[in-house]
Amino acid sequence: MSNNGSQQTASLRVQRFNPDTDKKPHYETFTVNITRDTTILDALHEIKTHQDGSLTYRRSCRHAICGSCAMNVNGKNMLVCNVPIKNHLDRKGKITIRPLPYLPVIKDLVVDRTLFWEQYLRVKPWLIPLEDVPEKEYRISPEEVEALNNAEKCIMCGACYSACTVVGSNKKYIGPHALLKSFLRVIDPRDAGVMERLEEVGTDEGVFRCHTIFNCIDACPKGLDPTKAIETLRGLAAKRRAYETAKQQRQKTLNEPIPVRE
Amino acid sequence: MYKTTGYFSFLLRRITGIALVLYVFAHIWVIGSAVQGEQVFNQRLGILTSPLFRIGEIALLAAVFYHGFDGVRLLIVNWFKVTDRRKSMLLAALVLTTLMVIAGGVPILLEILHGAG
Repeated sequence: MSNNGSQQTASLRVQRFNPDTDKKPHYETFTVNITRDTTILDALHEIKTHQDGSLTYRRSCRHAICGSCAMNVNGKNMLVCNVPIKNHLDRKGKITIRPLPYLPVIKDLVVDRTLFWEQYLRVKPWLIPLEDVPEKEYRISPEEVEALNNAEKCIMCGACYSACTVVGSNKKYIGPHALLKSFLRVIDPRDAGVMERLEEVGTDEGVFRCHTIFNCIDACPKGLDPTKAIETLRGLAAKRRAYETAKQQRQKTLNEPIPVRE
Repeated sequence: MYKTTGYFSFLLRRITGIALVLYVFAHIWVIGSAVQGEQVFNQRLGILTSPLFRIGEIALLAAVFYHGFDGVRLLIVNWFKVTDRRKSMLLAALVLTTLMVIAGGVPILLEILHGAG
């Protein structure tokens, strides 16, 4: 990174692939001026606006909540919209940007997420409501609330899925993103599909395919812990009937009025 | 390829796992020959007492201990859900493996040197 007053330059090595003309991906290097606050996405915008309009990438909200701009920067998956580029430059001011690994590249930094969403649908990510809705509120323990808070922050960016070594070798694997969502629903006291869900994920295409490599934790831009969710699901899947009964029973007993503390 | 410490430990676990399976075949090949008489058994055992195979024993020691300790690390993660300790536990597994390999490997090396002298 060369200093020039408050402005600096950064060298972006970007993986390019045009399906109409290229047989395989190649790298192109672009130099852009940056300031202290320039994000990686800003630098990509600069290239697209002023240097090469054909550079293709996904982006939307620029607030790290839509999950569109997940990319692989210097070998690590991250959202490029909220990360200052200067934090990832090497000594020579270079940064390497590639599309998410293990997913088919459509063009440049855009990957095909079809399988990602298909696996997501496998776990039925929506809430399956109970037939007998309790008259009073649902009850849930503080530990469960903490676990749910952790799981529901997922923005479906695909960083964990495409960092997973198992996904790289086995496309039937459900993937950490969907297993985390399944965990969210299994723990949720309002959900009636415990048995169905645990049967779907409790197979060698689900939680028992995970090799506990922890890449999903390292890759998650929201600091979530899909491995912990998978480990919990493993235990629940092994005793799914007992868990379902206990969950139902608990809601029945918890439906009693809260004893007023003197 | 997504390279992290987790990937590194997974790769080592796989390689040592395959190495241990291959070792089991070699082990059966030698021990199984006991039923064919003393001469065959001693002949096969003789091949494995050459310095090259003795050094291979040290590698075997490393494979056994790494695979074992890393497996225990994953069991601890599974039981206690301590995913935030994954890197320090990997370091502990590597340190323990190194200590055990030194403890077991030095006597083997000394024996090779003594035997050669």
